[in-house]
Amino acid sequence: MRQVQFWLRWSWRDLKARWLQVVAIGIIIALGTGVFSGFGGQKKWRIHSLDESYERLNTYDLRMTLTDGSYLEKEALVDALRDVNGVTGVESRLIIATQVDASQDDETILVQGEIVGVDVAEDGPHINQLYRNQGRNFTEADSGQNVAIVEYKFAKHYDLKPSDALHISGDIPLDFVGTGQSSEYFYIIPEEGVFLGEASYAVLFMPLETVQTIAGREGLVNSVVMTLADGVDRKGVQAEIETRMAQTFPDIGFEMNTRQEDDIHKLAYSDAENDQVTWDIIAYLFLIGAAMGAFNLAGRMVEAQRRQIGISMALGVPRFWIAFRPLLVGLQIAVSGMGFGLIFGAILSNVFGNIVKDFAPLPYWIIELDMVTFLRAAVVGFLLPFVATLIPTVRAVRVNPIDAIQSGTLVAKGGGWTKLLNYLPIPGRSFARMPFRNILRAPWRTTLTILGVAVAITLMVMFVGFLDTFVATMDKADEALLGRGGDRVQVNLNFFYPVDTPNIQALDDLKTAEGNPLLDQTEPRLMLGGTLKRGDIEIPTMLELVKMDSPIWRPTFVEGDLRAGEDGIVLSEKAAKDLDAKVGDTITLEHPLREGTFSFRMMTSEVRVAAIHNNPMRSLNYMDMSSADMMGLEGQTNLLVVTPSQYANVNDIKRALFSQPGVSSVVGVQEYLDAFDEVLRLFTLFLRVVQIVVLFMAFLIAFNSTSINVDERVREIATMFAFGLPVRTVTRMQIVENIMIGIFGTLVGLLAGWLLLQQFLAARVEDQLEDINLVIVLAPTTILISLLLGVLVVALTPILSIRRMLRMDIPSTIRYVE
Amino acid sequence: MITIDHVSKHYQMGAVTVTALQDVSLHVNKGEFVVILGPSGSGKTTLLNMLSALDTPTNGKISINGQDITSASRTDHFKFRRETIGFIFQSFNLFPSLTALENVQFAVDMRGNHRNGSRAAVAQEVLTQVGLGQRVRHFPHELSGGEQQRVAIARALAMGNPILLADEPTGELDFRTGIQILQLLQEQASNGKTVLVVTHNREISRVADRVVELSSGQIVRDGPPQDGKAAISDLHW
Repeated sequence: MRQVQFWLRWSWRDLKARWLQVVAIGIIIALGTGVFSGFGGQKKWRIHSLDESYERLNTYDLRMTLTDGSYLEKEALVDALRDVNGVTGVESRLIIATQVDASQDDETILVQGEIVGVDVAEDGPHINQLYRNQGRNFTEADSGQNVAIVEYKFAKHYDLKPSDALHISGDIPLDFVGTGQSSEYFYIIPEEGVFLGEASYAVLFMPLETVQTIAGREGLVNSVVMTLADGVDRKGVQAEIETRMAQTFPDIGFEMNTRQEDDIHKLAYSDAENDQVTWDIIAYLFLIGAAMGAFNLAGRMVEAQRRQIGISMALGVPRFWIAFRPLLVGLQIAVSGMGFGLIFGAILSNVFGNIVKDFAPLPYWIIELDMVTFLRAAVVGFLLPFVATLIPTVRAVRVNPIDAIQSGTLVAKGGGWTKLLNYLPIPGRSFARMPFRNILRAPWRTTLTILGVAVAITLMVMFVGFLDTFVATMDKADEALLGRGGDRVQVNLNFFYPVDTPNIQALDDLKTAEGNPLLDQTEPRLMLGGTLKRGDIEIPTMLELVKMDSPIWRPTFVEGDLRAGEDGIVLSEKAAKDLDAKVGDTITLEHPLREGTFSFRMMTSEVRVAAIHNNPMRSLNYMDMSSADMMGLEGQTNLLVVTPSQYANVNDIKRALFSQPGVSSVVGVQEYLDAFDEVLRLFTLFLRVVQIVVLFMAFLIAFNSTSINVDERVREIATMFAFGLPVRTVTRMQIVENIMIGIFGTLVGLLAGWLLLQQFLAARVEDQLEDINLVIVLAPTTILISLLLGVLVVALTPILSIRRMLRMDIPSTIRYVE
Repeated sequence: MITIDHVSKHYQMGAVTVTALQDVSLHVNKGEFVVILGPSGSGKTTLLNMLSALDTPTNGKISINGQDITSASRTDHFKFRRETIGFIFQSFNLFPSLTALENVQFAVDMRGNHRNGSRAAVAQEVLTQVGLGQRVRHFPHELSGGEQQRVAIARALAMGNPILLADEPTGELDFRTGIQILQLLQEQASNGKTVLVVTHNREISRVADRVVELSSGQIVRDGPPQDGKAAISDLHW
């Protein structure tokens, strides 16, 4: 026991002698194990939370959505579905597009959105229940009243509270009674908009009867949610419903999806899965960085004890006890690194949990510590420095004692690979040559340091690369969407109207408050949902019918052409690629066909691919307005594109159209991009934090290496001082050496980051971003900043050693023999 | 040339004050070959450190070429070493990442008074002087102990400074190599450089012009070798 205490004391002194390096390495290990333990189990608790949230809100098993523009009598539809075998619950809704005005005294909040009419009888809705965040739930007395529960994320974004002012299209005032969440809206993704669109899209839950009245669709519904019995054959139920619908409502088109096929459901789960992949990559990269640093430090510590180990061997101390001392140091670093790592992990887990909660709030959160990941991180955090110490220790105790003990000329150290540079003349003074030689002097350490720095830069490049890629993709979308019609405004109508109907014609006569014309140009269009098909591939699409000779805006073709009056479809590059279709090929288009005023059914037509356009969004595809007859919609419109006159702006148009009958929402095209900018701002903020953390890691690794180099070359430095070489020249030499390490590390990091970015995004495109033609890029500024930061941070670390050099006892150091 | 005036040096080791030098005064002339002799702990290395401005005395004054180095700033100390002193160490302290030629060139660079092309030529010439003209491209670990010390001497000579300070220059060498090194140092004194050699080896002091013997931090003898100056060939240890 006494012997253990003795060795413990001794190893503790070793630790104290290098406390700065030990702290640096401890922090690196803590970062590695912290990220590993903090993020390692996020998938598990996120999926657990999602499962719980979906279940507790009694989320539908099957959802039926009638084709755009189709409506059915509520009772008739529910009756048709209620007794289908396996169906345990049926609830119908009416979902109508609208414009929402939630403007407060000091802020204009005028966004597009939808009102969801739900059954409020007996504490309904019973399927897709509402989780109340603020205010109150619906009561039966609310039926027919203008009351609304505002979707939580929209309310939160604008800090809206129950009883705040709230209006919808037609300038209809609503009583804002609460905020709540529904599983269909765990993420807000407007059809034309962007991921995380809560700032630009409002969902209002209202009593069904109220929505029917407001929309002029008394007794009608357009959506049904159903629950099924446990273990029932879903495909069978779906088939029976399809048969029943075809028999009962032959003219009505509809789509059905299971809960698992819902985009929001898919996104929520795949996001948790993919985020885990990201965090795993990050955690492993951090651990690799930690391993590099740990091996560097442990190797140097054992090397510094070389003579003492030799003397111990000469004195006959058993090898076990000789190895015990450096291993104890490794153990102490391991325990502290692991301990700090787990604390750091717990903090990270908590912080990340809160970020996720904030980003995509769920009604129920079960943020739990995943013990398996936690223990795995603990083991990795422990083993890393321990193994790092074990390897050089075992090597050190296996040499002949005399080889370890002797000093002087016989142990003059080799120059590593310096000889290689002997054949490469470097101009300038010998001081200029020394940094280059020193790099090759300890090739193992140099490699570890370069790799450590590279790991940090890889992480940074990966993260900033995400941002660059999204910015480049959105720039492309900007270019495609804005073109020369950047000031245009989309006026979405709540139904299909003949273009010569009085309320459409009336728009042309709208005036500003000063009596000047509000609009410069107006153009009717059609916007329809559909599916592109070729072989086994099916792609959902938003099909816009545009006058191809439009003076306001038409898509920009990158290939082919489509003129006004011609048949054919203009596909997005991504859709063409996924369908493997070229200009001139024929594809199948599933589209609505009008059968009656409120009835549409889906039908398929063969269409020629006339051109390819430049928008990276796969779902945006175009035809000429003359193809409206294919849908039975000739002379009809549900979308007006207008441009403001010189006397008006987008907000003037929004205000003026807000109370117009038939108008559901008014959106300036620029707003879609503004919404994305808002999302980008959040990501950028997060990425900046990551950037700082990885730069800190690069700094720690470089600092450790520089500090070890100063230790190892202390006699040389003292000799230089003895010859009168100023401290600034010695520091400059170290900086030059570090600049080279920084350049190599950064270049390797840039390359690795670029490869990882491509691989990672390519994987995400397949399962999560399939609707976007991602332009995977690293912006020149990112490369430049990575180079600058990587090289600069590494280059400047020697400055931290200046004080140590100034305090050096030169005479003692010159004579110092390790 | 070198004037040491009532110099003392005390170190504080915890609660104990250790006196390394006690009221030492000494004058060394240009071109003298002086051996500072004494056992371990006698203060000879402390004295060498003072002379090279690596350490400062607690009391007293040291002047070299009339310049008081005891009151000079840290920057001046660096400049003084660069322009006045050439060092030779017991364990050579060569730069392992530089070849023999580059180690010597380092010294030439320190003075910075040679053109680019002539720096290598000067280093080559000095290395030839010390008998290493054929080993210039070798790294220190590829040279024997004697060769390494000759490179160290060449480095000190290449500084072109008037004073050579050697701390136990033969301490790590065998007799034959040690003799060669002493011969080189003696030649430098003959060429007008002031050479101060610190050693505990009494035999070496026999070839000096003057022997300063230290004991417990004080000069106990200062004069020519006791039995007269011997030829290098007469030495043995």
